[in-house]
Amino acid sequence: MKSTADKLVDDYLKRLNRELAGVPQARRIELVQEISEHIAEARAGLEGESEAEIRTLLDRLGDPAEIAAEARARFGVRPRQNNWLDIAALVLLLVGGLILPVIGWFVGVVLLWVSSAWTTGEKLIGTLVVPGGLVLPLGLVVAAASPPLTPILGAALAILLFLAPLLTVAFLAHRMRRGDVAPAV
Amino acid sequence: MVAQQDALLAQMRRGTLQYCVLSLLANEERYGFDLVRGLAEVDGMVTSEGTIYPLLSRLRRDGLVETTWQESPTGPPRRYYRLTAAGQAALEGFRLEWRRFRDAVDHFVERTAGS
Repeated sequence: MKSTADKLVDDYLKRLNRELAGVPQARRIELVQEISEHIAEARAGLEGESEAEIRTLLDRLGDPAEIAAEARARFGVRPRQNNWLDIAALVLLLVGGLILPVIGWFVGVVLLWVSSAWTTGEKLIGTLVVPGGLVLPLGLVVAAASPPLTPILGAALAILLFLAPLLTVAFLAHRMRRGDVAPAV
Repeated sequence: MVAQQDALLAQMRRGTLQYCVLSLLANEERYGFDLVRGLAEVDGMVTSEGTIYPLLSRLRRDGLVETTWQESPTGPPRRYYRLTAAGQAALEGFRLEWRRFRDAVDHFVERTAGS
């Protein structure tokens, strides 16, 4: 079982990784790694592992957004500004297949992967959960109208398949990083 | 005025911090945590410890420092930083320029102090 201390540290490192979107991947991995080494060293020097002590330790390290802004400044990464391409990615993932079968959804996937607004894990989720967005569930609803499926099972399946892409896109929209972090002077 | 001064201080700190890091490494290798605490000990040099790591990463990419893994007496191995020849040269160059600059500013600022 995880202690509160572990959880606080985990959350901090996850936030840092998210905030570092846009920084070259190799540097991003390196930074998260080094800061987690720093935390491990600092924890080894603590008397106990109380929540207050861990919080003080993380406060001294600073806000992940501040560290990320510094990294962007040091590596000359411009803060992200126009994210309409990211929004286009989400729209196409959801309904692109309805506008232009297969290709519409595929363009959405490409936009998703070239964007720096999501981590690789989030991109995988966006790609793998019900590929095709709402095409597959709509297709199934049509198919279910001519029933070999029992009505209840068909309805349950349809709801599930509708929910999966909607929830995935909502999740991605929530995790999307906007370009409002100015680099530290 | 105060806001302007804050911005200026932040810029000066930002511009000189890397040479402070190189100086700390001039005579000995240090691991990240030790290096960061060394900087944070001096009042006014860093506001939050974590912001040193992007700088270290940049210095490494520029070939001014390099890292090696070494055993630690207490825990997992540590990543030690040390100056490269290029880092040494950059530090020497900065020392020269810094003395000139500091003396020039002192010449004006200190002469009129208290008058």
